[in-house]
Amino acid sequence: MTLKVYADRMSQPSRTVILFCKLNGIDFEEVRIDLAKRQHLTPEFKEINPMKQVPVIVDGRFKLFESHAILIYLAGVFPGVADHWYPADVFKRAKIHSVLDWYHSNLRPGSATYVRNSTLAPLLGLPLNPKAAAEGEKLLLASLVQLESVWLKGKGRFLLGSSQPSIADLSLACGVMHLEILDDEDRDRILGPHKRVLKWIEDTRNATRPHFDEVHSVVFKLKEKLKKQRSKENGFGEPESIRKAPLHSKM
Amino acid sequence: MALKLYVDRMSQPSRAILIFCKKNGIEFEEVKIELAKGQHRTPEFAEVNPMKQVPAIVHGDFTLFESHAILIYLASAFSEVADHWYPADVRQRAKIHSVLDWHHSNLRRGSAGYNFNTIIALAFGLPLNPNAAAEGEKLLSASLATIESFWLEDGPFLLGNSQPSIADLALVCEIMQIEVADENDRERILGPHKRILKWIEDVKNATAPHFDDIHGIMSPVKERLKELKARVNKL
Repeated sequence: MTLKVYADRMSQPSRTVILFCKLNGIDFEEVRIDLAKRQHLTPEFKEINPMKQVPVIVDGRFKLFESHAILIYLAGVFPGVADHWYPADVFKRAKIHSVLDWYHSNLRPGSATYVRNSTLAPLLGLPLNPKAAAEGEKLLLASLVQLESVWLKGKGRFLLGSSQPSIADLSLACGVMHLEILDDEDRDRILGPHKRVLKWIEDTRNATRPHFDEVHSVVFKLKEKLKKQRSKENGFGEPESIRKAPLHSKM
Repeated sequence: MALKLYVDRMSQPSRAILIFCKKNGIEFEEVKIELAKGQHRTPEFAEVNPMKQVPAIVHGDFTLFESHAILIYLASAFSEVADHWYPADVRQRAKIHSVLDWHHSNLRRGSAGYNFNTIIALAFGLPLNPNAAAEGEKLLSASLATIESFWLEDGPFLLGNSQPSIADLALVCEIMQIEVADENDRERILGPHKRILKWIEDVKNATAPHFDDIHGIMSPVKERLKELKARVNKL
């Protein structure tokens, strides 16, 4: 029975799981759960995951959620997965666990909170929240500093000084790519100073092409959609109320 | 190969690791890093953990931080650890990973948010934050309900297991943090959750006498925090 992956490509952890499957030639059926249409709140999906979150996998009768647990499980059960993704070596494995856990509490909430509350919320039918965005940004900026100074320390091209990517590189690179949803100015302001991070993203992208770009095409589509929405509201099309107001002389 | 645990017994994940090692007869040296005294911010400790947090371990020349990673490493590196703590079966293991990850964003976040902003901040000379405490309590209560309705299954331990895993230790040590709060608050938050209370007892019994031993710190800390709070209220 084919593996089922319940995902919304608008969700970064969903993208990571899909990317991992494609990279490793794991046969799967992608079942789209549209978050913007609230499909994660249906009773049918509750049967799949009572936590109402994506991604979730169903392998036969085995259901699993939480993207890091999924990545580790897939690396364990599919024989074609090369060792470097989740090494058998207990020391290397422990370090991968530690960066994945750090990611969960730092870069991921920072990035997700900032992107959602400054930019993405309207596409989820939610209001923007500048206060929450500011808090998210603080955590995001601190996390990027730690990513460079701690996790990317060492001679290797990848995390933990490794010469080959692991599931940690996949998860964190997808997390950083989530920032591509922001407008270019914002993204450059946040990521621009972090040359080592940018290099690592390129290296990860090269090591995982063409799937990396394919999976991230949705991110660039979202960016364009949001750009168009913003120019409708700000640029050439002012909101109705301003157009109808009388013009006052400024003398 | 010597094992050093850099811990503060006031830190929930530190306690989980101490209990785990004692229960499994793993020899170690406890290096106390007192958070309230800022000992986690020294350059010496940054050599052990550049993230400046406890717990952290040094095993020979291998350093590691993040408590879940540590628990998994210890379960894997020490052959005396029984399988039920971190089963070799890939599906059972996967479920343990998922509850540990869920814990980070839910029970841990809610519990730490509630306890820190209700009382623990005083130990660091920081002000209490009732808004943040209320948010924390909301998430904490929702998490306790989810543990009862979903994670405990038929019990007695998480994921319907008949013996405890590292996940039981991690989550129960987190819930125990509320022991430093006011009795009325603890009763309000924990009281309704009979299954949680039974599960805590089961974990305590499965790791006796170490559980009570390590949690011995809660009582004196509670008294000290009570005094600090009374002083603040008098101002």
